[in-house]
Amino acid sequence: MDFSVVVEYFPKLMQGTWVSLQLIALSVVLGGIFALPIALARISKNPLVSGLPFAYIFFFRGTPLLVQIFLVYYGASQFEVVRESFLWPILREPFWCAIIAFTLNTSAYTAEIFRGAIQAIPVGEVEACKVVGMTKVQMYRRILLPRAFGIVLPAYGNEIILMLKGSALASTITILDLTGMARTIIARTYTPIEIFLAAGVIYLAISMVVIAIFKQVEKRQNRYLGPNPVKLPDDV
Amino acid sequence: MSKVPALELNDIHKTFGDAEVLKGISLKAYDGDVISILGSSGSGKSTFLRCINLLENPTKGEILFNGEKLGLEHGKGPDLYPTDMGQLTRMRQQVGFVFQSFNLWPHMTILENVMEGPLNVLKRPKKEVLEYCEHLLNKVGIADKKHMYPSQLSGGQQQRVAIARTLAMDPQVILFDEPTSALDPELVGEVLGVMRGLADEGRTMLIVTHEMNFAKEVSSEVVFLHQGLVEEKGTPQKVFEAPESERCKAFISSTF
Ligand SMILES: Nc1ncnc2c1ncn2[C@@H]1O[C@H](COP(=O)(O)OP(=O)(O)OP(=O)(O)O)[C@@H](O)[C@H]1O
Ligand SMILES: [Mg+2]
Repeated sequence: MDFSVVVEYFPKLMQGTWVSLQLIALSVVLGGIFALPIALARISKNPLVSGLPFAYIFFFRGTPLLVQIFLVYYGASQFEVVRESFLWPILREPFWCAIIAFTLNTSAYTAEIFRGAIQAIPVGEVEACKVVGMTKVQMYRRILLPRAFGIVLPAYGNEIILMLKGSALASTITILDLTGMARTIIARTYTPIEIFLAAGVIYLAISMVVIAIFKQVEKRQNRYLGPNPVKLPDDV
Repeated sequence: MSKVPALELNDIHKTFGDAEVLKGISLKAYDGDVISILGSSGSGKSTFLRCINLLENPTKGEILFNGEKLGLEHGKGPDLYPTDMGQLTRMRQQVGFVFQSFNLWPHMTILENVMEGPLNVLKRPKKEVLEYCEHLLNKVGIADKKHMYPSQLSGGQQQRVAIARTLAMDPQVILFDEPTSALDPELVGEVLGVMRGLADEGRTMLIVTHEMNFAKEVSSEVVFLHQGLVEEKGTPQKVFEAPESERCKAFISSTF
């Protein structure tokens, strides 16, 4: 094995890493933002409100991420309306197609995590909100969401790691993310082992950073939990 | 004393599925009344108390707060729902509730728990709220723990915080659902002590309890429930020393 190729192509690998980081960060942030209203709608007792998010979550959790990427990337261009709309400059770009697919996907998972967390809050704590005469909005803003945030952290960190790994699929629609870049380099150098090992190490390093950050935030956030932290239900 | 009861419950019914748990309970609490509600397990004491501020939806009956009738209407099932959430919310702000299991918010410090209601629900100025809440924590003997989290306190301490949290809303009536039943025996006294102080202050309270001596000493009225009905009611002297009902007599003698 000759690791000098890794050194030689290190700048290229870093370029790919940067693209991967952008993909992950953007879709995780956007997905997190969309996840909250989806989760709240999903909790609603009114079937008219909870039906749509249910179907949404069902679809995005039940189909492969790769299929979702292809649907956005190849699917969008099938429609005349799309090609003529102002959105076309965006939907034409593989990068934005990946962002859209990732965001939809991760928002479905994250919504489910939020829902689990909100419903894991002991009913007595909710009743304590009711008896002081909180409105629904006050209840969510002051108690339920901050409380759910603490419960959700471990599962949410996990979702980001999954997204990191899923982001490699972006390379299938010509994006030069870390995996895509690795494949282009290999096509030139024929050194798959060295380059993929290097890519693997970089993915691992990013994962470790994410895990470390979440450990810290969790420690800060959950310092109150004492000996009996709330556990998420298994189906989340 | 005003002629209008602070709290008036008329003919409260509640069914869970096929089981009729409350079969028409009426009760009036005037300002300054301390009413103890006794009864064996399953007689419907908690359900009745929870119906008062609609933690449980009654299936029939009237709830009046200072003479103002709480609007209730039937929904899909047999239960009654509030016609106006705003009215219920206003009423809840003036009727405190202390739970058997304390139910403090674990992610907030003791002081934050107590301040939450007046600050963010009643929107009182922060400085005033802080002062008042520190005074209340002092009163229940927890002042030195105000920056701790609930999980760091004993059960008795948590319950005293829960009482302070309720008092912080300045409620006109306070409902207690077995506030000492989840506590180790040696911690019961400290909570009863706080409640005794509230009774002496002239607070209006409805207390579901199994602490017979306490009920006998502080109550102005005692109500004995049996299978969802008021079986006996009257002054503590009457209910404890000369009950008319055989069941009540048996219950009293079994607990002393
Ligand atoms: N949510 C519920 N669903 C179905 N049945 C219920 C529910 N809550 C209470 N019950 C039933 O209603 C009856 C009265 O319960 P309740 O909790 O009011 O009794 P209690 O007098 O407070 O008893 P305890 O002294 O044990 O607290 C019981 O038979 C109980 O099983
Ligand atoms: Mg009970």
